[in-house]
Amino acid sequence: MNLIRTVELSIWDLASHAFRSFLTGLGVVFGVGAVVAMMAVSEGASREALRQIEARGIDNIVIRSVRPSTDQSTENASTWNAASYGVTLDDMRHIRHDFDNVRSIVPVRRLRMSVYNKGKRSDIQVFATIPEFLQLSNSRVADPRGRFITDSDGENAVKACAIGIRAARTLFGFNDPLGQNVNIDGKYYHIVGLFENPFGSQMMGGYDLDNVIITHIEAANTLHGKMSTERKAGSFERVIVEADFLYIRVGDQEQIENTAGRLRTYLEKTHPQNDYEVQVPYELLKQREASQRISTIVMASIAAISLLVGGIGIMNIMMANIYERTKEIGTRRAVGAKKRDILTQFLVEAVVLTSLGGVLGVGLGVGLAEIVAIYAKMETVVTPISVIVSFGVSVCVGVIFGTYPAWKAANLDPITALRTE
Amino acid sequence: MGFLRSSDKAADGGEKSKWVVDLQQLEKTYYAGACSVQALKPVDIQIPYGIFCAIMGPSGSGKSTLLNLLGLLDQPSGGHYILNGQDVSRLGDNTLSEIRCTQIGMVFQSFNLFPHFTIQENVCVPMRYAGFSEKKMQQRAADLLNRVGLGDRLKHKPTQLSGGQCQRVAIARALANDPPVILADEPTGNLDEKTGNEILNLFHELRDSGRTIIMVTHNPEYENVVERTIVLHDGYITRDISNPKSRPSVTSEACTESHIP
Ligand SMILES: Nc1ncnc2c1ncn2[C@@H]1O[C@H](COP(=O)(O)OP(=O)(O)OP(=O)(O)O)[C@@H](O)[C@H]1O
Ligand SMILES: [Mg+2]
Repeated sequence: MNLIRTVELSIWDLASHAFRSFLTGLGVVFGVGAVVAMMAVSEGASREALRQIEARGIDNIVIRSVRPSTDQSTENASTWNAASYGVTLDDMRHIRHDFDNVRSIVPVRRLRMSVYNKGKRSDIQVFATIPEFLQLSNSRVADPRGRFITDSDGENAVKACAIGIRAARTLFGFNDPLGQNVNIDGKYYHIVGLFENPFGSQMMGGYDLDNVIITHIEAANTLHGKMSTERKAGSFERVIVEADFLYIRVGDQEQIENTAGRLRTYLEKTHPQNDYEVQVPYELLKQREASQRISTIVMASIAAISLLVGGIGIMNIMMANIYERTKEIGTRRAVGAKKRDILTQFLVEAVVLTSLGGVLGVGLGVGLAEIVAIYAKMETVVTPISVIVSFGVSVCVGVIFGTYPAWKAANLDPITALRTE
Repeated sequence: MGFLRSSDKAADGGEKSKWVVDLQQLEKTYYAGACSVQALKPVDIQIPYGIFCAIMGPSGSGKSTLLNLLGLLDQPSGGHYILNGQDVSRLGDNTLSEIRCTQIGMVFQSFNLFPHFTIQENVCVPMRYAGFSEKKMQQRAADLLNRVGLGDRLKHKPTQLSGGQCQRVAIARALANDPPVILADEPTGNLDEKTGNEILNLFHELRDSGRTIIMVTHNPEYENVVERTIVLHDGYITRDISNPKSRPSVTSEACTESHIP
């Protein structure tokens, strides 16, 4: 018998018991739906994580200064004694000099100074760094008339700064910020350029790069000294942090882990007070991948169980179906059906059923992913591969769980089958 | 063109046997655990082409057993069965299915139609297994249903028809692959007398177009309208009578020339 026609007839037959067929396939519908939705959620989460990691620069190592928790004496020293911690410019020079894998190293100091906008303090942060920062952070000069900070700014202690495009909008609205002055802690800085970060990267403790002001670190040290005053809930605190961050770009990605290890060894020796943290986005990525693998295994098991349940449901109903249609099977055999014809008929029926279940399940999964995206505000991504895989699996469920009932039907004794009412 | 008999189906080559059904010492024993029942004692029966033959006997005498053997639904325990010139007593399941498909038409007491199919689809089923093309099959099903008087109800489901009409559909289905033998197990058992007689007339027309009809029946009146009656008792043939008063039988040579109006 021709297979296409068999498929057609089995669809027809399933349609004549539409509701029962629907209930039968429901297990597969939910199984496939769950798989597609879970894969979409997991894919969305992993893309989001990847984006975050990439935003920090995959070929970077970041050394962050952290206030040591054991440093009770400086805490208690109240406002007059400054708390001094973190990595220093000496560390930077040493690393730049001794670590041949390090292609560039950029210090960033948060000045903890207020930017005044028409007499009011704004939330714009000021960072002091060196010109290489522009390239390292994947930023660019946004207005060709301007420039980024230069080394001569530092050498001459010029009160010059470059401003992110969002900060410029906040401070000057639609007026041209170039050539204007900005009040930073009472000193007026000349705006020499405008920059932007096309990737919307967040660096330096979650500050949006487009919303900061950048000046040269040497100029800042000369003009303001190394001490900063941090305002904290109404009180003041003096801190000396030479560099809040050291951004290190390694020449070869292969060398990241090795270099990070050497850096850790070096810092352990020179900073016994443990006032630093080494962050390696690449390692985070690796960890992320490992945990992703675990969650994939867990989800695959859940999916396998739900499809198993769906498959057993199919098998159960197919057995009942065959029991109910015993006389039909006998009659078919009497008018010339081979065992093979009966086997094909019931197998096709099971596969058609699970395939339709698979199609509905994919729809359900896409819908669920959409609902999760809207209500849980999570990114979800339905990948073609997840759709193909789960549909393929539902076809396989039909084959696996339909074979036994179909074989059973094919091997019924024709006379016994005919005698059944 | 009568019942669309296109050709005679005797095995090719050699001289054609006179008998469409030739049983030689055919027997059947059922085994159920330790005890065995010899439902059919060794019998010799020869049935020529183109007759209407009845099998009678009390309940449990082995009529259905014999008919199942004739219909290749069951395997004999001994002896030989030559159907239309071919020994079919020891064949594999696939070959048996093919012979059932093309050489034998089955009619059942309870019609055994497929309730979800239209009657046209019902008639198509044996042709599907024989590998007809879709178009040819639908056409032939329509012709056959037309011939049994149901040409205007092709798209009806069996549940929308009376018992007699259902049995007509079943007969049309039995004729689908143009077999030389029609086997019917109590085909009128579920019908009233009048409808039963109509079915009987239909069988006569089939006989006249050259087919052999072998019918199991309990109705003694039918003895008068068939050419031959075989009576079984406990698996033995106790009576085998020909009834020349019945309509004249068609010889095997005349098979191809059907003359139904
Ligand atoms: N599958 C079987 N296993 C064991 N014994 C069987 C089987 N089928 C039939 N028999 C026995 O064979 C004998 C003949 O049965 P069969 O069905 O041929 O009778 P029958 O003449 O058709 O009767 P009825 O007129 O009631 O249909 C009975 O004794 C029956 O019990
Ligand atoms: Mg019987």
